[in-house]
Amino acid sequence: MTEFISSLIIPAVILAVGAVMFRRADAFEWFVRGARDGMKTTVSIIPTMTALMVALSMFSASGAADLIVKYLSGVCSAVGIPSEILPLAVTRPISGSAASSAFAELLDSVGPDSIAGLCASVIMGSSDTLIYVIALYFGKTRVKKAGRAFLIASLSALLCLFLSSLLVRIFFS
Amino acid sequence: MLGKCFFIICLISCVSAGINGNIGALSSAILNGAGRGVTLSLSMLGMMCLWCGIIEVLRQIGAVRFLSRLMRPLLSRLFPSAFESGEGDEEIVAATAANMLGIANAATPFALSAMEKLDRINPDPERASDDMVTLAVLGTSSINLLPTTVITLRHAAGSVSPYCIIIPVWICSVFCTGFAMLLCRLTCHEKKVRSEGKPAGKMRTNKINDRHKSGERSGQSHD
Repeated sequence: MTEFISSLIIPAVILAVGAVMFRRADAFEWFVRGARDGMKTTVSIIPTMTALMVALSMFSASGAADLIVKYLSGVCSAVGIPSEILPLAVTRPISGSAASSAFAELLDSVGPDSIAGLCASVIMGSSDTLIYVIALYFGKTRVKKAGRAFLIASLSALLCLFLSSLLVRIFFS
Repeated sequence: MLGKCFFIICLISCVSAGINGNIGALSSAILNGAGRGVTLSLSMLGMMCLWCGIIEVLRQIGAVRFLSRLMRPLLSRLFPSAFESGEGDEEIVAATAANMLGIANAATPFALSAMEKLDRINPDPERASDDMVTLAVLGTSSINLLPTTVITLRHAAGSVSPYCIIIPVWICSVFCTGFAMLLCRLTCHEKKVRSEGKPAGKMRTNKINDRHKSGERSGQSHD
């Protein structure tokens, strides 16, 4: 049921945009302009993605990732999260492109429709980079310390970790 | 930041490859990784173009403005100082709306200018005001209506139903954002001062001004 509703959302958005294009003559121009910007952004992150993918493939090929999964799987299963998502959980607060690389690497190794893959997808979709955003925002102010913001955001990110595994179990098993 | 992460990951990998004895696998992983960085970006390219195009159309027909109007009542409770003084309230609403639509490029400038204005009305410039903390936290855990990056990467990895995570993502982000906002309100330090020093009459005038202002605003574009 949820899968059916979820699969309707994107076609509905496309249809709505199509309707706008039908009614407004310049809407297609807007679309092309937006798409061009999207292309520029995607191409501009290729160098970063390359560096991070190199680091992450090294990490998994060296056996370090397996080691972490092996040693922390007990801890993780005790709190109810799949241990495979740990590399993503670590990179998510630090950097958006690092998290995308970790996420892609993870989907490749465990499969996008496995429990760990689904958990990772929910985490990836419902949290954002934390350190960069807070540092950037407070950089515009005279405030010296932003400890409270960091603390609250980290707690919320932790909750996201647990909640995502819980929700995936409820929805997909 | 990323440079340090890169080094640490590489160091850990080299050490553990040495211990496990798979240096050969490590070298080929470096070559593969470099190639995959590009193939991954390129496999995202089509969907990103489509999506950014759609977002641009939605933005032009006023989706940001529409969402802003919907969220104004809720946000005015989360950002009492900003909405009472009228400093930065407009930007906060626009930034949140843009974040929900997944237009980070548009959200960041709004949020930064809101931070500057909040800094101006901050009574204690060394210490982060409640509204600043709330805005920064909201920026990190904002609800994303359409998690397109996730869908694209799931599709690229060969998922049978790339979209199936949308509803769990909504539930998860609503709960996490709600939790974060609750923590912000619970830890806020300006609460007492405000509730004491504010006569009821003054509040009403503020509200009228606010309505008047938003009437003016509805005519102008947020972008």
